[in-house]
Amino acid sequence: MALSLTVNGDRLASTADPATPLVDILREELHLTGAKPVCREGFCGACMVLIDGKPTPSCLTPAALADGCEIQTVEGLATHGQLNRIQAALDASDAVQCGMCFPGMVVSLTHLLTTRPDATREDIRAALTGNICRCTGYERIIDATLLALATK
Amino acid sequence: MITGSSVQSTPAEAHNAASSIYVAPSLASALDALSECGAAGAVFAGGTWIMRSPIRHEPLRARYVAIGRIAELGAVRIGTDVVEIGAAVTHAALAAALADLPEFDVLAAAAGRSANPAIRAMATIGGNLATPGFAAADCVPALLCLEAEIEVAGRDGRERMKLEHFLKIRSTLAPDRLVTQVVVPRSERKTAHARLPLRKAGDYPVAIVSLSVSVDAAGQVQAARIAVGSVEPVARRWERLETALIGRSLDAEEAARTAAELADEFVGRDGIDAPAWYRVSVLPGLVRRAAATALGA
Repeated sequence: MALSLTVNGDRLASTADPATPLVDILREELHLTGAKPVCREGFCGACMVLIDGKPTPSCLTPAALADGCEIQTVEGLATHGQLNRIQAALDASDAVQCGMCFPGMVVSLTHLLTTRPDATREDIRAALTGNICRCTGYERIIDATLLALATK
Repeated sequence: MITGSSVQSTPAEAHNAASSIYVAPSLASALDALSECGAAGAVFAGGTWIMRSPIRHEPLRARYVAIGRIAELGAVRIGTDVVEIGAAVTHAALAAALADLPEFDVLAAAAGRSANPAIRAMATIGGNLATPGFAAADCVPALLCLEAEIEVAGRDGRERMKLEHFLKIRSTLAPDRLVTQVVVPRSERKTAHARLPLRKAGDYPVAIVSLSVSVDAAGQVQAARIAVGSVEPVARRWERLETALIGRSLDAEEAARTAAELADEFVGRDGIDAPAWYRVSVLPGLVRRAAATALGA
């Protein structure tokens, strides 16, 4: 039976095995390559997507449990070509380095901005516990997040 | 609706024979499905362990029964005498539910500081308890020191057992049995959870000490329960240390000194994150930290 996924507002059907990690369907079937299967253990956050609004590692989410859910990937966060607040702040702060972790960072921080408008530097650090930057560019990322929070 | 094609080029380690996942809408339907699946089936809770099977070179089961959407298993019921925690309650939900109950500080800390925020929103208490291969589970020692009982159900009914007993039988639990809830008694006590991850957060703990003490008006320890996790393959009580603390004032430095004298009863497990000796050697420091936190509570 086909799975029904709503990805970035589009309803899509997939015939993938129900235990297939969502990240593989996103990348290989739907060609949305923002989410990256890096550790496949839920440690690194490079595959983070929003499922029904919550940051979720798509490497650990079987397709069957994403069936019927609203999935937002990094490709769906900018609307009408307009970067969202955290994307704009990361760009303005020159915080992007190699880019491997960034789709996941942007997804986690988009959620933070939505749910924690009063977040402190410590709150941002805690929220990024599951997003690893191999370039160790954390301080600029945190500075950019504070900038985004201050930009109403 | 756009029709996609089947997955063609997933990494080799992610390939498995096709697995089916039945998303159970109710406990009865989950128990029926598990019974019908027999040995080919297994419970799928948060999935944070099962989905990593390929990395451990373990095949996925042919059939899974997902329990995450069963309302009965997703609730925390706070009563006068006990707290009942549904097996599918996530770590994040559990930490939030216990935030205003100081007697459960140990469990709130275990659930609220393990892994990372996204994993805490997926991983369940039932999965944490029912995964024999996961030695570093935070909630197991926390629940051991709280005298938790585990309810297991099958189509023929439910039974309740002490957590210590459940840990002994969990790897041989019949495939049609399902952990349904954790029952934790309420009482006046000071509790604390001390864990040592190699990084400040986000790693598995090298060792865990969970502590619960009842202290009389004179400040003397009347009852103590201390559990150690991640050091050996299965978490367990540290009964000699408990006995040594009873009748004395709780003092963090003294507790650590006693722990150092008694730590040789542990045989650590070797792992890629830490050697066996290291896990044992950090126990006195964790006891000190747990006692100090409990005293401050």
